[in-house]
Amino acid sequence: MKRNLATLMLLAVVPIVMGCGGDSVPDGQEETLVIGVMPKLVGIGFFNAAQRGIEEAGHELGVQIDYDGPTTGDVEQQSRLADTWVARRYDAIAIAPNDPDAIAPVLSRARARNMDVITWDADAQPDARDWFVNQATAASVAHTLMDLMAENAGEDAKYIIITGSLTAANQNIWMEEMEQYRQEQYPDMVNLTPTPIAPGEDQARATQMAADALTTYTELDGIFAITSVALPGAAEALRRAGMADAVFLTGLATPNDMREYVKDGTVTRFALWNPVDLGYLAVHAAVASVRGDLTPGIEVFNAGRLGAVSVVDDEILLGPPMVFDADNIDDYDF
Amino acid sequence: MNRMTRLLSNVFRYRETVLVGALVILFAYFAWRAPGFFDAFNLLERSRYWVAPGLMVVPMTFIIATSGIDLSVASILAMSAMVMGLAFRDWGMPMYLAACCAVLTGLAAGALNGGIASYVRIPPLVVTLATMTLFRGVAMGLSRARPVGGFPASFQWLGQGNVFQIPGTAANPVYVPFSVLVLLGVFAVGWGLMHRSWVGRFTELIGENETAARFAGIDVSLLKCLLFTACGGLCGLAAVFHTAFYATAKADTALGMELEVIACVVIGGTRISGGRASMPGALLGLLIFGILQFGLEMSGVRSRNIIIIVGLVLILTAVMNERFGNQYTGGGSG
Repeated sequence: MKRNLATLMLLAVVPIVMGCGGDSVPDGQEETLVIGVMPKLVGIGFFNAAQRGIEEAGHELGVQIDYDGPTTGDVEQQSRLADTWVARRYDAIAIAPNDPDAIAPVLSRARARNMDVITWDADAQPDARDWFVNQATAASVAHTLMDLMAENAGEDAKYIIITGSLTAANQNIWMEEMEQYRQEQYPDMVNLTPTPIAPGEDQARATQMAADALTTYTELDGIFAITSVALPGAAEALRRAGMADAVFLTGLATPNDMREYVKDGTVTRFALWNPVDLGYLAVHAAVASVRGDLTPGIEVFNAGRLGAVSVVDDEILLGPPMVFDADNIDDYDF
Repeated sequence: MNRMTRLLSNVFRYRETVLVGALVILFAYFAWRAPGFFDAFNLLERSRYWVAPGLMVVPMTFIIATSGIDLSVASILAMSAMVMGLAFRDWGMPMYLAACCAVLTGLAAGALNGGIASYVRIPPLVVTLATMTLFRGVAMGLSRARPVGGFPASFQWLGQGNVFQIPGTAANPVYVPFSVLVLLGVFAVGWGLMHRSWVGRFTELIGENETAARFAGIDVSLLKCLLFTACGGLCGLAAVFHTAFYATAKADTALGMELEVIACVVIGGTRISGGRASMPGALLGLLIFGILQFGLEMSGVRSRNIIIIVGLVLILTAVMNERFGNQYTGGGSG
C-alpha cells in the first residue's frame, strides 16, 4: 500500500515541479492583448528569424506574445496547440499552417469563439481565417527580380530562366509577371528561353543544365534561377565555368544555401522575402484586427516600421522581397 | 484502527484506485494552476483528441494481455484513412462506402499481422515492426504523399459534431461530442469482453502461460489472429473519426500514436509481459495521459518540455509496474 501511495504521489509531483516553468496568462491585466503566434515548426533558422520580428512587434505594441509551435512540421500538433489557445481564450491566433485543410476546423472553432485568426507564411482555407499575410505576391517577386537584372546586367540584357518543374504553379505565375513587366519596363531585354529550363527539384541536375546553357547561349548576359534549388545549382555551374564576371546570376533562395557563392563573388545579389519583417507584420496584422483597425474593404494599414502596407481583399501584402548581398547576408541564418 | 488500515489496504490493492487518485490529483492541481482547465466546454472539446488513440487502446489491451504487441496501429490508421480518402475522391464512392473501405482495410491489415504472428509463429513485435513501416509506406505510395481533403460536412460531423447540449448550460452551451460517445461504447464492449466473458479469461490465460492454454483446449493461434484482426478493424474505425476530425486524410498522420496507445494501456496496469489486463485501467490511462498533456499545455508549458514530462511519467509508471505489479494479483501469478 505504501508503494501504491508512492506511485500516486510521484504522478502528482512531476507536473508540479516541471510546470513551474510555465508562463500562464497574467491575472488582472485584462487590457493586455494576448496573441498566440505559431510557426510551422520551432527551431529552424527561417522561423527563428521570424520570431525576432514577432517579439519586436509584441514589444512595440505592448501585447503579450505566446510564440510556440510543433517540433516537427506536423499539422496535428499545430491543431492541438491552437485548440489549447482557444481554451485559454487568447485574443488572436497568427499561424503558419502546415496544411490548409487540416488546420481549418480548429481555426473555425477559434473564430466561433470570437478570436481573430491570421495566417502567415502559408494560408489556410480562406473561410477559416480573417486575414492572410502574404509574403510573396507574384508581381512583387517578378518586379524585384527584373529590376535586379536590369541594374546589374543592363536594360538590354539577354537572359535565360531556370525554374523547377514546368508545372510548378508559383513559378509559372512569376514568369508570366516577369514577361509582362519586361514588355512594359524593359522592352530591350530578351528572354532566350520562352520555355524555361526545367531541372525539377534536383540541384545536381540544375547544375548540369545551367552548365549546358552557359555553353549553348554564347551571348548570355544573365540567368534567373527562380527556385531555392535552381539558384544554388546554377551558382555551382557558374563557379565551375569561371564566368561570374560575364554572366549575372540571380533568383530566389535562402541565405544559408547561397552564403558560399556570395562570399566568393559568384552571386552578388539575390532575393527572398524577409522572415523578420514577415513575423513583424503578422503580429501587427493580428493586433490591428483585434483592435478593429483592420476591417473588410480597407486598402492600406499602418504596420509600424514597415509603414503603409497594402491590403488586397483579405490579404495583407508584405511588399517586395528582400535583396541579399555580401553586406547583409551574415545577419540571417536560415 | 486495525480494521481501518485493512480497509484502506484493500482499497489500494486495486491499481484502478491508485489511478483514480492520480487523476483526481492531476485535476485538482491543474484546476488550481491552469486557468481555463477546469471548464466543461474546454475539457469536452479536448476529449475529441482522445477518440482515435482511445479506439486503439481497447484492442491493444487484449493484445498486450496475450503478451503480444501491435506496433503498426498508427500505420494502419494512416493507410485506412488514405484508402478512404482515395475511395471518396478518386474512385467515386459515396462517403459511407468509403468509410466502410477504411474499416475493411484495417481488418485486412490486422488479419495480415495476426496471420503471420500466429500461424507463421513470428513474434508480434517483429511482425508489427515490419508492417508498421509497410503500411505507412503503402499510405505514402497510394497518396504520393499528398493529403486528401474536401470531405462532405456530414462526414466531418462524425469527428467535429455534437450529439446534445448538456442540460443547464443554456448561457454557455456545453455539448457532448458524438465521437466521444462512440469511444465510450467501444470501451464498454471491451470491458464486457475482457472482464465478463470467456474472451478475456482465455486472453489472460494465453498471456500467463501459452502452453497451458493450448493444453486446456484453447485454439490459441485462432484467438490471437482474431484479436489482431479486430485491432486492425478498430484502427480503421479510428481512421474514420480521425479523418473526420481533421477534415483531411494524410499519409503521415498520427505519427508516433502507437507509442501513446501502448503507454495508456501500460499506465492502466495491463502487464506488458501479458497475463493481466484491466480495461477500466486502460481508460484511466488514456485519461491520465490526455489530462496531463492538456493541463501542461493550459499552464503554458512549451511543447518541447511537455514531451519530456510525459516521457518521465511513463518511465515512472513502467518502473512501478515492473517492480510492484505482482503484488496486485496476490503474488501468485508471476
